[in-house]
Amino acid sequence: MASLTISNLYKSFGAVEVLKGIDLSIEDGGFLVLVGPSGCGKSTLLNAIAGLEEITSGEIMIGDNSVAGLHPSKRNIAMVFQSYALYPNMTVSQNISFGMEMQGIEKDERIQAVNKVAETLQISELLDRKPGQLSGGQRQRVAMGRAIVREPEVFLFDEPLSNLDAKLRIDMRTEIKRLHQRLGSTIIYVTHDQIEAMTLATKIAVLKDGCIQQYGSPYEIYNNPSNMFVANFMGAPSMNLIEGQVKKVGDSVEFQMKISGGDNVSLPVTDVEGLESYIDKLVVCGIRPEAITDLELLSNNSNAEVVEKELLVDVVEPAGSDTFAILELGEKQVVARLNGNSRVSAGEKVKLTFNLSQTVFFDKKTEERIR
Amino acid sequence: MKLNTLQESNINKSRMSRTLIYIVLFVFAIYYLLPLYVMMINSFKHLDDIRSGGMLNLPSIWTIDPWKSAWSTAQIGIDPSGLKPYLWNSISMVVPAVLISTILGSLNGYVLTKWQFRGHGVVFGLLLLACFIPFQVVLIPMAKILGLLGLAGTTQGLILVHVVYGLGFTTLFFRNYYAAFPTEIVKAAQIDGAGFFRIFWRVLLPSSGPIIVVTIIWQFTNIWNDFLFGASFADFDSIPMTIALNNLVNSSTGVKEYNVHFAGAILAALPTLIVYIVSGRYFVRGLMAGAVKG
Repeated sequence: MASLTISNLYKSFGAVEVLKGIDLSIEDGGFLVLVGPSGCGKSTLLNAIAGLEEITSGEIMIGDNSVAGLHPSKRNIAMVFQSYALYPNMTVSQNISFGMEMQGIEKDERIQAVNKVAETLQISELLDRKPGQLSGGQRQRVAMGRAIVREPEVFLFDEPLSNLDAKLRIDMRTEIKRLHQRLGSTIIYVTHDQIEAMTLATKIAVLKDGCIQQYGSPYEIYNNPSNMFVANFMGAPSMNLIEGQVKKVGDSVEFQMKISGGDNVSLPVTDVEGLESYIDKLVVCGIRPEAITDLELLSNNSNAEVVEKELLVDVVEPAGSDTFAILELGEKQVVARLNGNSRVSAGEKVKLTFNLSQTVFFDKKTEERIR
Repeated sequence: MKLNTLQESNINKSRMSRTLIYIVLFVFAIYYLLPLYVMMINSFKHLDDIRSGGMLNLPSIWTIDPWKSAWSTAQIGIDPSGLKPYLWNSISMVVPAVLISTILGSLNGYVLTKWQFRGHGVVFGLLLLACFIPFQVVLIPMAKILGLLGLAGTTQGLILVHVVYGLGFTTLFFRNYYAAFPTEIVKAAQIDGAGFFRIFWRVLLPSSGPIIVVTIIWQFTNIWNDFLFGASFADFDSIPMTIALNNLVNSSTGVKEYNVHFAGAILAALPTLIVYIVSGRYFVRGLMAGAVKG
């Protein structure tokens, strides 16, 4: 097991710069998730760590050693691919032991190692089958077995769950998390699924266009997004980004949002720090759906600053555990998360509570966080 | 009720068109098989029997003398040797030529898809161009090069010619097949510590069965049936079967022994026929696999 440090990493394909100065580090035993939309460079970054892609400049350290110029097989890593990448002509046990065979490990020792891994992953009865005879979930397990048997310092996962159906994906997600807890190994995990990122990671790096937008714990990423991209990307439904004006009313400051065919709705801003220079200007307020809700949910959160508003509900989407109400605020659709037992119906006016301690503000032009 | 009759008339219509299709196919099958039938039947006739007409009739007396003659005693050019020695000439040319061009083609395909280098597209384009160059264009330069290499008139020379000419096709086949082969598997093998040749030998080649069969059949038939290169570059002791057959038919001593000619022609075609029958079903499967992904 080892830590991983990446500093000032650049990668270009011809004239196209794919990674633009990546700085990252994950401690020994950490679970780092690289998340971002397709084409953001996350898979390229993973391939660079694996040594499958040459880097243009920068440094990658596994443990205390730089891996520059090292062949993928010499980096003490193991990789699980999106398509599983099992050798179609070999049986499951040959697949798992191929790496050891290449290292010239004795057959008896190989068989022992394969059996041990197969037991951990509960694939012992599949060892003599070919990959073509396995289901998607079983192939996924074999691919993980091939990685585990190498006993690497760092595991690399390249969107390992995206080829599975929804139900199996959730099961395997739990399985991976359990595996991480048991092995205590360092894992780098690439995904475009923000729920996978939130549930698995100890640290998340959000990437866009080859740059890291934010790096932090899932809690930080979710509650303190550093810009509008992160705010929008993480969370389902995503954070509401409402445009409005910062106004000074007497001694206090307010955030005013337009409503078509109605009076402005304004929220008091208690913590003005950083916002002073934006008075009378347009800013974007970010507020999570769960911070706009009906009263009951908030009542046990005693130190939250709340304010109540009555608003017109456009559409109601019951989802079992929650009911999502969609309304119009600041010329944008805004989602509010209500109690699952709520009996609100569309076209009704509803009293909603805004949790002000969970609001964040962004600069409209730079899309960066103000406060 | 109305719906039922409509359905029935539709079924009738499809049955009609199906019958029509089978009739057309049957007619074409007969049309294509007729020459083979004529050759077969007449190769078992005495010469008198043939001369008395009735090309489609069965022999009045069956005989295998024409086959014996074509195989070992018929006049080929100036030698009364039959086709026997030339069969060996052809085999010792075709087998190495097919194997070498297939192996090189598969390596080319492997490099062009899994170890892409700057300008790989251009290289592939140039190799493809080789498929479209007419035989006649390369005759003189090829003769010159064979002379320079000291291979003129030898079987090795013919092997070289066929390998060079076949490389475009074999590369095309393997490149398209390997393009559909997941690159992630090659990456996984790299992480497992397998090198360039080990990945090729242990991972790619075992999964290439269909395309190997396609390439071998394609190359085998083409090289076996080649006449121009054989006629241009072969010497007395390297003349392949096709040239010998021509010499058999054109040897103008005495009467034309049509029955012997027919037997000889079938003998010359037999190896390709056997290759098709043995691996034909893989041929179609392989062509599909190369063309369509998955």
